[in-house]
This record gives sequence, structure tokens and C-alpha cells, in this order.
Amino acid sequence: MAKRKSDFRKMMKKFWRNQTAVLGVVLLIMFVIIAIFAPQIVKTFSPKAAARAYAEDPYQMPRVAWTSNPLPPSKDDPFGVIGGRDIFYGVIYGTRTAFKLGLTVAGLSALIGIFVGSISAYFGGWVDEIFMRIVDIFMSIPFLVAAMVLTTILGKGLNNVMIALVVFGWMTTARLIRGNILQAREEQYVLAAKALGQKDWLIIIKHILPNTIFPVVIQMSMRMGSYVITAAGLSFLGVGAEPGYADWGTILSYSRNWMTMLDKAWFAIVFPGVAMVLFVLAWNLVGDALRDIFDPRMRS
Amino acid sequence: MDKKPLLEVKGLKTYFHTDDGIVKAVDGVSFEVYSGETLGIVGESGCGKSVTSLSVMRLLDEKGEIAGGEILFDGKDIRALSDEEMRKMRGNDMAMIFQEPMTALNPVYTIGDQITEAILLHQDVDKETARKMAIDMLRKVGIPEPEKRVDEYPHELSGGMRQRAMIAMSLSCNPKLLFADEPTTALDVTIQAQILELMLELQKEYGMAIVMITHDLGVIAEMAERVVVMYAGKVVEYADVVTLFKDPKHPYTWGLMNAIPRLDEDKDVLYNIPGVVPDPLDFPKGCRFNTRCPLATDKCRTEEPPLVEIEPGHKAACWHIDRLVEMVKVSRAGEGA
Repeated sequence: MAKRKSDFRKMMKKFWRNQTAVLGVVLLIMFVIIAIFAPQIVKTFSPKAAARAYAEDPYQMPRVAWTSNPLPPSKDDPFGVIGGRDIFYGVIYGTRTAFKLGLTVAGLSALIGIFVGSISAYFGGWVDEIFMRIVDIFMSIPFLVAAMVLTTILGKGLNNVMIALVVFGWMTTARLIRGNILQAREEQYVLAAKALGQKDWLIIIKHILPNTIFPVVIQMSMRMGSYVITAAGLSFLGVGAEPGYADWGTILSYSRNWMTMLDKAWFAIVFPGVAMVLFVLAWNLVGDALRDIFDPRMRS
Repeated sequence: MDKKPLLEVKGLKTYFHTDDGIVKAVDGVSFEVYSGETLGIVGESGCGKSVTSLSVMRLLDEKGEIAGGEILFDGKDIRALSDEEMRKMRGNDMAMIFQEPMTALNPVYTIGDQITEAILLHQDVDKETARKMAIDMLRKVGIPEPEKRVDEYPHELSGGMRQRAMIAMSLSCNPKLLFADEPTTALDVTIQAQILELMLELQKEYGMAIVMITHDLGVIAEMAERVVVMYAGKVVEYADVVTLFKDPKHPYTWGLMNAIPRLDEDKDVLYNIPGVVPDPLDFPKGCRFNTRCPLATDKCRTEEPPLVEIEPGHKAACWHIDRLVEMVKVSRAGEGA
């Protein structure tokens, strides 16, 4: 027990010395706090919008004005108004949307990928051949186009966006885990474990998976951000979340009509844009930090 | 040598089914290992020496198959055992150490974890005891400060220390037979000597038999009591170590010995056996060494020489032993040795 603790402490010490990792974690914690306390935050900083929020669906950005012209930031609407919607409300609740979307899509596509990839690598032969050709087919379709087409077919809405992203997002994980397992299976420590009489399934769990799963976890964390960007892209293009949904991409899509008059609508781009950039940055930095923590070869 | 051998390999054939055809990596190999002795298996890369040991431990990959022969360990036919019975034998009755201590240890676990894993697998002890046993084992293999080292990861150890850890791991369950597959090849010379010495000491203490697989006749001279010389999947000579060095009866053995650099000679160019190892998919007819042998005749190119016992405990497979003896005599006379 004592040794585990000291190991953990060593890791933590190294982690805190890595400034970018700390920045990533701090950013992420900030986003988590914002997501958890979204109602309270909105009530404090934009009470007018909070009062008008739709009780049955808090994820709808409340209408605070009946003009289609953007209104600059004011005391009532700290981040301004676009399309009649309060941007502050959208950015804060959009954090929840981003977590929901990122975690669901990254998690589901990783699960499917691990499942397909490990079955492929474990059974080999024609099973492997079939699965990998399916992967090839899915990969040959451009991701954004495929996701757009699928959401168009399924209809607007965040859930449909998530389905589309999962359907076309699991392949890289499948390939990654398959390649890693194939490689790890040939490692001499696997043979050494066999030579010591270790059981087959324990070899997979104790020796192969620990050497293969971390890249997937890291990849998941890195892609968490990029899924959010893709979803925002879909929303911006008009095939994402419904209009009015508290989602960073949706706010951006309102600014589409004001692209030639950015001096009047800059706040509709800057605030959700900054949120998105920081969100992606946070996950990438955390992904990097995870790699440093998980990989003992990187500990010196 | 009336006692019963610990391991008896009779006419072992191991074939690999590749896309290009069947590779007869081991083709009728026989030898015995007695308790507590060291048997050396020597030969060039690809002659089937590692495959022989993997066959005995039944660790061949999907493409490999034991196509014939008998493997008796303690009188038990290994080929007839179930996978589960075989798994229980591995580590417990026979263990293996590998050439690359760098890759034979799992990078994500401490060496203590890995040794403990081996102990827990075969012995009925709790984790705390297993850990103590692991530390003891590390002390025995000469790792300084074992209490501290036990929690280090493989990458924190030097090559020699890693190989010591590997030895500790394979000996943790006190096997009767240890396969050492080129255990010193990846190490530098001073460390090589230390590791070999360590293995001899441990052998004295534990009384296990060692099968030392190497391409290095120097290692054989130091470690082995009896030697199997392999060429292209076959045993070409089989003798005790003194006889082998004093009185080689196969041109391949003689060639290997000549290729060792000697300190008392000032040669610019080392002797080497002309030609290359034959393609395992297409071995030459007759004696497999005929393409590289200075004594080869038409008979060697058509008929395969059997492994015959020339004198008790000394077997060789060559049609021209007489001519070889003559050649060795002339050559040694020329050296003034």
C-alpha cells in the first residue's frame, strides 16, 4: 500500500510541475463548475434572461428582445443579444451541451471502436478482414459530409447530431486498438508471461490491455474537443441543433447573417468562440497530461 | 549416464506453415537433458535452436506446429497434455529467459509486480508473502537494494539488472528446467560474464537443469557440460563439451571453432564459413551442409548422413569423419598446437 501511495505522489508531483497540464485541468474544472452551476450563474449575471427561461426546457435560449438586430452587451445581457436570444445564457448552458455531446460521442465511439478493434485483433482471419473492410468503407466517406447527410436524414436536433458523430467517429479507435493489440501480442513480455504459465485471459487483461488502452483514453480526451467543434460546425451550417438551442454552434449560426457587419455582431462570435477554443484547449492539454501520467516510460 | 533424463526429445519436428510453403524449422532433433546439468544448443541464427525450446514449452504461434517426435518431461508426454495442464507446467516445472531483457519485461509494471505475479500464479501464498519472496529473489540474483528496486519499472534498470530481474522472475517458482535463449547476447561483455556466473551459482543452489541456447561457443565452453550443435534444423553433432572442443567430428563444428578469434594470433581477417545458411524452404538434397562444406563430395549431395554414435556419448552426422579428423590434425599441427 505504501508503495502505491508514493507512486501516486510521485506522479502528482510531476503533474503539478507540468504547467500546461495544470492549465488544462484548471480550465476543465472551470468548465465543469460552469456546467454544474449554470442556473445559478445565469440567475446572478443575467437575471432578466433567467426569468424568461422556459421552465419545461432550460436548454432553449430565452427570447429577451423582439428585434432581429444584434444588441451589444449591456447590464441585462452581459454578452449581448442576437436573433432576440441572450448570448450569455447560451454560452453558459452551452457548456452543458458541450459536455453532454463530447462525453456521449467520445464515449460511445470509443466503446464501439474498442469492441470492433479487439474482436478484430483477437479473432483475426476473416472476422478481422470483414471488420476492417467495414472500417475502410466508413472511413472512405468524408466525415463532415457524412455527418451532414445523416443529420439531414434523421432531422435536426442534438441527439441526431450525436448519433451521426458516433456512426462516423468510431473507426479510428477501432484501428488504433486493433493495431496496438496486434503489436502488443507479439511483444516478448507476452511470450514471457505465457512462459510463466499465465492464463490467456489474464494475459489479455494484465499485459495486453494496459499497453493498448491508454492511447485510446488519450485519443478520447483529445477528440472530446474536436467533436464539439464538429457539432458546432454542423449547427453553423444549419443541420445541427434546433434554432434557439443553447449550443455554442447555434449562437454562431445566428451571426451568419451579420458576417459583413462584424462590428455590429462581434460579440455573437467572440464569446461562444472563446468558450469553444478554451474547451478544446482544455481537453487537449488534459490528454497530453494523461499520456504523461499513464505512460511509465515517460516518467523519468 | 544410466540415470533417467529429465527431458527427452526424440525426433522432434516443428514445421511452420507460411504463405511460401512449409518451413521445416526443426527436422528430427533428439537430445536429453539430465537433472542439474547444462546442455548447450549452439548454431547460427535460424538453425532452429530457439524453435526447439519453444516447441518443448509449447509456445509456438499459430503458424507453428509440432509435426512429429516425442517430448518427454519427467516421463510425461508433453504433446499429449491438455492446454491447461501445459500451462500449469510452465513457470512451475520449466521456465524460460529471453534474449532481450528490454522487451521481455512488461513496461507498465514494476519488476516486483511481475515477479509477484509469477509467484502468485503457482504458489499458494498471500500477496505480502509473495512480495517478500520477490525481494528475496532479487537479492539472490544480485540486485543491490532489492527493497527499493522491487518498486522500480523496467526502464529504470540497466540492461544487466533487467536480465537479473528476468532470471529472478523465471526462477521464482523453482523450475526443474530453465531454457536460456541467448541470455547474454544483448549485454556487454563484462555483464555477460557476471550473468553467466550468476546462472551457474543459482544452478548449484537450486539444482535446476539449464538448456543454454546460444550462437557463442565461448558461452558454451564456460557453461555447458554437453553440447548439441545444430545446423539447418538438424543435429549435426552431439557430444560432451571437452570432447567437442578437442575432437570435433563434423566440419560445421570445426568451422565454428575456427571462426572464434584467438588472442594468441594476430590475424587481419577472421576465418568464416563460406556461403550462407540455406533457405529453409528449399534445403539442399543430401547433407544440408554440403553447399558450404570443404569436404563435400557427390555422396554428400545425394544422401543424407545419419547421426551415428562414433564413440559412447559422441554422435555426429557426416559421411567424411575420417577426412575431417585428418584435416583437423594437419591444421592443428600447422599451428604448432
